[in-house]
Amino acid sequence: MGAPHDSDQVTSALRLTQSLLERGASVQVWTCGYATLLTQRALGSDKPRNLADWNREYPSTATLAEELLSAFPDRLYWYGCRFCSDDRGAADHLPQVVLRPPAGYAANVSAADKTILVGVI
Amino acid sequence: MATQESARSAVLDHPDGRVLAIVERGYRGALEKQFFDELYLATELHRQLGGLDILLRGQAVTYALNAGPPPPLRIGNRTVDTLSDPRKGLRTLLEAGVGVWAEEPALAAVGAGGSPGRLLRGIRVARDGELAARWTEYRMVCFL
Repeated sequence: MGAPHDSDQVTSALRLTQSLLERGASVQVWTCGYATLLTQRALGSDKPRNLADWNREYPSTATLAEELLSAFPDRLYWYGCRFCSDDRGAADHLPQVVLRPPAGYAANVSAADKTILVGVI
Repeated sequence: MATQESARSAVLDHPDGRVLAIVERGYRGALEKQFFDELYLATELHRQLGGLDILLRGQAVTYALNAGPPPPLRIGNRTVDTLSDPRKGLRTLLEAGVGVWAEEPALAAVGAGGSPGRLLRGIRVARDGELAARWTEYRMVCFL
């Protein structure tokens, strides 16, 4: 998946991921472009405070990715494009995130029975 | 109350000094944005710039249609019930005195033309180009 904060593709991709995992499938997520920023540890556990609802907590995307990975060990894998990540200064990812060179993308595709591409850069 | 309504209507009909914010693209990341969407930003612009009107066009016009909150999402073992809720955002803006218009052609394109009863209370329907003709009356026009 590609750029977050621009459409609901991240919502759709993670809804689909959750649904597939609940049905027993194994899933690998590959982030491209700005989607590589979703798993930065610098995001912290929660989003910045909501001035209109100060005490409410809103999970960061890093938290959501981490909890998704923890909930489905050995069946969910999260990859990111190293080039896209480096190009955007995203250097400190969750430890479960594996950065791979763009040249490795085809290997991930061939390892999957089905690939759903919802966005690129 | 009637006086307050009259005063508010007068301000909306004569927007000198106000800012017009146009929202055309909708649904820009309910999961990653959550509360921090373009309507949240509009609340702050309204406060800082001394008065905002909003025109909903294109896909964003569906924000104006009355509907329930977005359903929660299951992620891992968590239920995420803090997804972006544009109708809640619009209600907050209306309560703060922001004028909100929904453009008629865009409403018609989604099958909601000629049905003002389907809109959130307080939202006005703008004819095609009606607000564009009034850009000169605003001190600032921005696309959110």
